[in-house]
Amino acid sequence: MRDKRLDTKLRLLSLQLENWKRLHDLITYGLDKTKPIVSSEQERQFTEIRANLLQETEYVFSELNVLAELSGKAMNVLQRGVSVRGVRDLTNEEIRRLETEWNAVFTKLGLVQGQLKSRRKQLAEQTALAYYLNRCLSRLFRPPAIAH
Amino acid sequence: MLYGFYNISVFVETRLLILNADPVFQDRTLAILDTFEDVETWVVRTLSEAVQVLLAENFDALIIEEEPALGIDQAINARQHFPSLTIACLSSHRRDATVDSTAEQQKIRLLSVARSDRGLRRVLANFVGSLDSRSGTAAEGIDPCHSLVGNLNQFSAAEILQMSCLSQRSGRFTFKSSRGNSEIYLQQGSVRHAVFGSLEGESAVAEIFRWRQGRFYFEEGIISQEQTVDRPWAHLLIDNLQKLDETLELVSV
Repeated sequence: MRDKRLDTKLRLLSLQLENWKRLHDLITYGLDKTKPIVSSEQERQFTEIRANLLQETEYVFSELNVLAELSGKAMNVLQRGVSVRGVRDLTNEEIRRLETEWNAVFTKLGLVQGQLKSRRKQLAEQTALAYYLNRCLSRLFRPPAIAH
Repeated sequence: MLYGFYNISVFVETRLLILNADPVFQDRTLAILDTFEDVETWVVRTLSEAVQVLLAENFDALIIEEEPALGIDQAINARQHFPSLTIACLSSHRRDATVDSTAEQQKIRLLSVARSDRGLRRVLANFVGSLDSRSGTAAEGIDPCHSLVGNLNQFSAAEILQMSCLSQRSGRFTFKSSRGNSEIYLQQGSVRHAVFGSLEGESAVAEIFRWRQGRFYFEEGIISQEQTVDRPWAHLLIDNLQKLDETLELVSV
């Protein structure tokens, strides 16, 4: 059995994660002191990824129910990292914060992706009939709530 | 002791590469394709990403979701690099006649996006179904633009390939002889793919090395999606020349 909403969430998440990874690659390049040259193509890519993230992040996070948890952190990363050259000029403290916040967003998205994939796997192993039958039976035989 | 026998069934999945600049908000087609069984989709946002992915992996088709004029431009660009790839353009707007004729010339399929989801599902299902039925066939989309033409009785395949590999060429060599036609694809001076009848890869290269009669031509910029040869040219050359020497020795005995 396939769940249309689950597939949509996974697709949105994959696209979002791909952009976060590419953003990280460029930030890492910017911070690497052994690579002094930042090309205009790299800056263009950075701006494009940043633009995609700025317009899509809020919508994707709300679809995944992680808006409250991640929105602030994601915005901090996007506001601090204005360009590859800009990242190079950040102070050590700002770089540390940037990396911590990027990591928090990436870790959470990775976890959600794992949960969704596991749910998809479970659904794929059962038929639609079995799924609804299980749901009905579990409702019928649910233990009564204990009043405290 | 009991031994279990496992019945391994192999099913072929249709792999689609979708070029969509705004896949998060313009996702009607993607949502429908997600529901198709045995269809794997990969979404890219730019043409350069698409070319990069097509070079690295095999796909059954490239679907471009864009404004008609831009979509056709991107499809023509993709066609130049991947002549045998099935390319389709999805468009929700009215098209003019020039777009239709250009698409026909370049063997680009135009899929009209229906307003209803059911209509669009039908269009996409027909397209995916047509891919299944024609899998394995390759249609060339552009007229060959030969940048090098010659006879194999004047230059051997080894000499021609050596010259092209040293100058870091990318493109397709077609060899035509009484034995049949064969193709060798180069990418930046390395042999990427070779095919002769049912032979593929190094065995096809070895076969072509032996040809002494026939014609050849080279088309610059045509890249194969498939990669069946992964050894450096120098290794291939040494091995095949050695084999050729062995064959010639055998003939002279």
